[in-house]
Amino acid sequence: MPDTSSALGPSPSTPQALDEKPSAPPVNILPSLIARSYSIAHPALLLALVATRFEALVADPTKELLSTLPWLTLIQIFYVIVCLPPAGSSPPTETSASSPTDGKSSPRPSGAGGAARHGKHAKRKQHSNIWACIWSRSLPALLSLSLTFALATPALTILLVLFGAPLTTHNSETVLCAAHMAVLSATALIYAHGVDRAVWNEVWGISRPADAVWGSALGTGLGAWFGAIPIPLDWDRPWQAFPITILAGAYIGYAVGSLLSRTPLVYGKRVKFTSEDLSETEKKTN
Amino acid sequence: MVIIPPTRTTGSSPNPNGPKSGVPAATPRSSDQSSSEQSKRKQAGLLDKKALELENEFKIKHFGVMGVLAWILLLHVAGIYLFTKGFLLTRMVLENKSSCDVLPFEDILAQPHTTALGSKQEKGCWHEKTFDKAVVIIIDALRYDFTVPFAPKGESDIVHLFHNNIPVLYETAVQSPANAFLLPFIADPPTTTLNRLKGLTTGTLPTFLDAGSNFAGTAIDEDNLVAQLHSAGKNLVHLGDDTWQALFPGYFDTNLTHAYDSFNVWDLHTVDNGVTEHLFPLLQPENSKKWDVIFGHYLGVDHAGHRYGPNHAAMASKLQEMDRVIRNIIAALDDKTLLVIMGDHGMDIKGDHGGESDDEVEAALWMYSKRGIFGRTSKDTLLPPQFARDRFVPQIDLVPTLSLLLGMPIPFNNLGSPIEEAFSGARGNNWANLATVNRLTAAQVKKYQHQYALARGAGDDEESTLLWTAAEEEWKSASKGFSSKSTAARASNELYRKYQRHTLDICRGLWARFDVPSMIQGVLILLTSIVLLIIYARGLKTDRTQLTSRLLEFASVGAGVGAVTGFAFGLTGLTEMSMVDGAVLLAAAGSILGATSVLVKKPANLTLPLPNGMWGWLAFFFTVSQSIGFASNSYTIWEDEILLFFLTTFGVCAGVSSMRQKQTTDRILGVYHSILFVILGRIASFSRLCREEQMPFCRSTYYASSTSSTSAPWQLAIPFLVTLFLPSVVRSFYAGSKSYEGAASLWIGFAFRFGLCVTSLFWVLEGADDGEWLPVSNETLKFVRVFLAQLVLALAFAIGTAAYLYSKPCVSINVSKPNEDPNSPPAPIVAGQQQSPRTTVTILGFGNVYGTHFCFLLINFALAIILMQKPMGQGAIALLLWQILSLLEILDTNSLTMTNSSIGPVILGVLGSFYYFKTGHQATLSSIQWETAFIPLTTVQYPWSPLLVILNTFGAQILAAIAVPLTVLWKRPLQTHDRVPASNPNKNPATRILSDVVQAAGTHILYLATINLATTMWAGHLRRHLMLYRIFSPRFMMGSVVLAVVDVVLMVVAVGGVRWNTLTVAEIFGW
Repeated sequence: MPDTSSALGPSPSTPQALDEKPSAPPVNILPSLIARSYSIAHPALLLALVATRFEALVADPTKELLSTLPWLTLIQIFYVIVCLPPAGSSPPTETSASSPTDGKSSPRPSGAGGAARHGKHAKRKQHSNIWACIWSRSLPALLSLSLTFALATPALTILLVLFGAPLTTHNSETVLCAAHMAVLSATALIYAHGVDRAVWNEVWGISRPADAVWGSALGTGLGAWFGAIPIPLDWDRPWQAFPITILAGAYIGYAVGSLLSRTPLVYGKRVKFTSEDLSETEKKTN
Repeated sequence: MVIIPPTRTTGSSPNPNGPKSGVPAATPRSSDQSSSEQSKRKQAGLLDKKALELENEFKIKHFGVMGVLAWILLLHVAGIYLFTKGFLLTRMVLENKSSCDVLPFEDILAQPHTTALGSKQEKGCWHEKTFDKAVVIIIDALRYDFTVPFAPKGESDIVHLFHNNIPVLYETAVQSPANAFLLPFIADPPTTTLNRLKGLTTGTLPTFLDAGSNFAGTAIDEDNLVAQLHSAGKNLVHLGDDTWQALFPGYFDTNLTHAYDSFNVWDLHTVDNGVTEHLFPLLQPENSKKWDVIFGHYLGVDHAGHRYGPNHAAMASKLQEMDRVIRNIIAALDDKTLLVIMGDHGMDIKGDHGGESDDEVEAALWMYSKRGIFGRTSKDTLLPPQFARDRFVPQIDLVPTLSLLLGMPIPFNNLGSPIEEAFSGARGNNWANLATVNRLTAAQVKKYQHQYALARGAGDDEESTLLWTAAEEEWKSASKGFSSKSTAARASNELYRKYQRHTLDICRGLWARFDVPSMIQGVLILLTSIVLLIIYARGLKTDRTQLTSRLLEFASVGAGVGAVTGFAFGLTGLTEMSMVDGAVLLAAAGSILGATSVLVKKPANLTLPLPNGMWGWLAFFFTVSQSIGFASNSYTIWEDEILLFFLTTFGVCAGVSSMRQKQTTDRILGVYHSILFVILGRIASFSRLCREEQMPFCRSTYYASSTSSTSAPWQLAIPFLVTLFLPSVVRSFYAGSKSYEGAASLWIGFAFRFGLCVTSLFWVLEGADDGEWLPVSNETLKFVRVFLAQLVLALAFAIGTAAYLYSKPCVSINVSKPNEDPNSPPAPIVAGQQQSPRTTVTILGFGNVYGTHFCFLLINFALAIILMQKPMGQGAIALLLWQILSLLEILDTNSLTMTNSSIGPVILGVLGSFYYFKTGHQATLSSIQWETAFIPLTTVQYPWSPLLVILNTFGAQILAAIAVPLTVLWKRPLQTHDRVPASNPNKNPATRILSDVVQAAGTHILYLATINLATTMWAGHLRRHLMLYRIFSPRFMMGSVVLAVVDVVLMVVAVGGVRWNTLTVAEIFGW
């Protein structure tokens, strides 16, 4: 992965202009108070999880990775359901159409979807709304989970091996490390975007506009990349064993990416590869 | 694969990735029938003249560009020379000789009991001699654990084939301790035979400068045991390894001496059989008057180690042979003769040596006499130690021991101590004798130290003076009781011993003294040459070829002035530097100043050479982070894994970047080749040769096992797989641009495949020889092998170069008239105005006309380099070629070829370094595969043998360097002067190519030069580091050699080859 900090220069294009593009606006955290506050707490929670379980992880990586995986999955599912709009609920056209009315001041989550439209018996409806809303979100959540484990985990396993993870030994560590990274990065991406071809093309091209979902996914990858650096050092520390630093790097990268990408300075910007990219974006935005 | 309108139609320059195949094109020049004959001729004349001008301009500028690269090479050599001079340790050689007449004590000039020289010779010079004659046998690489019964070091340690095969030494030492003793014999690194022989005869410590001279030994001019024996009139005989002849020319009896070539490590038996054949007749009683001392040097064990590794049946049988030889010598020995058997060094687990790992320095020493004079001073030392580290003697201890036993003066430079077992008497209590010999030795050491201090212009070391005084006082007070052989002398013995060892420590420290100013000068030259290279390769906006003449002019003027000034300074003695060093330094500095003035003359031409975009930063990041990493021994040890990490990172970035491409073909091709690139790199990474420090986290796969240096039988399939697939792979890259035309199909489809096939045969025969599968004599096999190897080299270099020079570009040109050829596919719309009837020209392979032709050169070298690798390395080189081609496609689809991106040349540098490790090498001296010099040769021949070893060792870097011009030539659109925009009519497009090529070459050198500077600086900075000689120093040497080799290859082969590439293309398509 490149030295993106340099390539991720301040873009002259305005985020609003990007929103008007048909495919992929940056994903907003849902505007409810719970969603907004939990979305801040979530990265901290994950970091706390790593910090508390770190010693156990060093002692027996396989066992610890396996036993924390369900918890991590639960936390991630909770996070996406509470904080993120599911795929299809707010397709780009709808967002741009509804955003003036729906904006940040709206009391209701914009992703509530079709259930929110029948707004006559407000109180009773709101109660059932929550359940309908949860139901409408748990389906994409389950879908994203299954894709995370079925596709993202093998893909990341292969990537880890290609980057030099051992092929003949440490297989369980590699797979579990990939599973953790997949749950961290892919769950939210699939939940928020489904299998939208345009979005995934942007993901493969690392050209998504920065938002909490993309930022955390990219952060996971970059963190894991940097996590590999201390492995060869001859400090003879037990935590230098193969998946531990990579995983720690992935978690830290996740947290940093998730938080950083929401700041106004970064939000909505894209990673630039060449100066051509820059000028092309300029052209489009003008 | 693309059509051209051959003349003047600039409006519709076709897209290389556009229409797929043979589309008819517009008019050739000859069909331009509308213009009148005369004007046509005139025009043609003008065109010819113009073309001639352009061609001449190109040729001149090409020479200029090669000159610039030569200048860069010279700068690098100067910098490396100055640094090396200060960094590699040196020791002053004192020419003083010890004399029989002069005892080493300051107060006693002649021994009291001497009467005449004759009697002294009779009884011994400084000390009463014990033996008249000696047989000294060196079994090269006799490691200590070969000689003692197997004792497990850990729970998992099992008996290997090299254990328990030479029991005679241990048996005699245990059964008759008075007749024999066996001790571990620790070598001072570097553990090369030449350095060891110097240590074993002079008794002094080696310094690093000696290490490089293993290929051509030079005579020892210090005082040494052989010279002392010779000057005492002894008749010396030498048998075996011819290194002795180089070290001691003229000392041996020419009639009885038989020397054998020492570097043919494939040959296990010639030297040994020769030694045995000539040794035993001399041991017969009737011949005993003919000689006094025999030096025999067996090489079979060493060669078995180099060729097979220690854990091999050949090693076992060789050791058994040595066992029989020793038993026979014992049987033939008389009472007056001392027998010494020793190893000069050990071997690592692969059977190689040169470094300072435990296995390499732990040799064995065994002495035997029928008289029974050896003793043990304590019960603890009765048995030979189980492990070499339990109780050992340094190798230099042999020198005083042998000198005193034979009644010789101790050589002047000696720092060793007498071995206790040899002087303590059969009962082990002759303390008086021990004290006497230790006093003699200590006195000689003191004398030497005093002279050395005088020569250095320094005083004597205070602590050693104190130790000496204390020992002398003890000696004087105790000397009355000596006659009774009591333990009264024991204390003074200990004190003298302490003095000797203390001096040894001082000397070790003293000779580890670096010449820091010289090192700094070297680093500064390397640094400024990098800065200049950054400006030249990355910071110029203009055509580089325009600067060439002025650059060279100023640089050579500066160099000349500098050299003269340097000489003048040296002559007048204004500086302490020698004339040569001063001239080198000032010449380099002068040429740098001159070149700087040219480069920065027009600031408008300069840009800030900052990395540009993601690719530029990535290239910068790879280079700089790796350079920083060399400060850490861990990152140096694990360099191979880090390079894989970088390559995969590049591949992933390339895939990501490809996903951003607008054109679907670019996107798909780019992603495909990125994935391919990453996977190929990972497959190659399975070929590993672990260095000692990587254990236990690394498993070697390069050879059959971790204790062998032969290939496993299954690995012999790899050359055949390469034969089968590699030409097809190369073909697919040609076919992608419809370039598998003309010479390409013949050269790649037939000649390349044929060469690879012969290579496979070679290695099967090699395996057959190792495993003795065929009922054919080794000589026959060797003869056939050498023939095959020379055939392949002739194909690659002689025929291949001819093919490159004279073949036409890989295009196929069809001239057809559409109406006469109704079977041809319907012609699409053709660029330009359509006038029928017209002749159409179909040019296949047009889209990659430069790249496919230049690629021949790459293929030629790939063939030769593949021949020079072991089977596993052949697979690696094949993967390297594939990855290079894949990289070129990535560069093309991401439009990085025409934009002079730095990433292509830098990734080629990373690839070269990566595959260096994948072809069974490490940044250690012992991983050099010397035996590959004998692939196409039977004996050592200069300059071919070193060149072959270079081709084996740096094959990957050489191949990568040759591919550098391809980063700008691959799929480069054809440019002729009539196709460039009218805005710049005087511009010669061929020089644009040249400028791009030299920019790429400069960037490639920049990567390696930065790595070299980093390793140099770190080695200099960490010169007191514990791991200096194991890790930093070998990496520095590797970096320097790689830089020099790649500089030469880039200049001569890569950039040199571009000349014929451009000429060939221009011959067909015009200038």
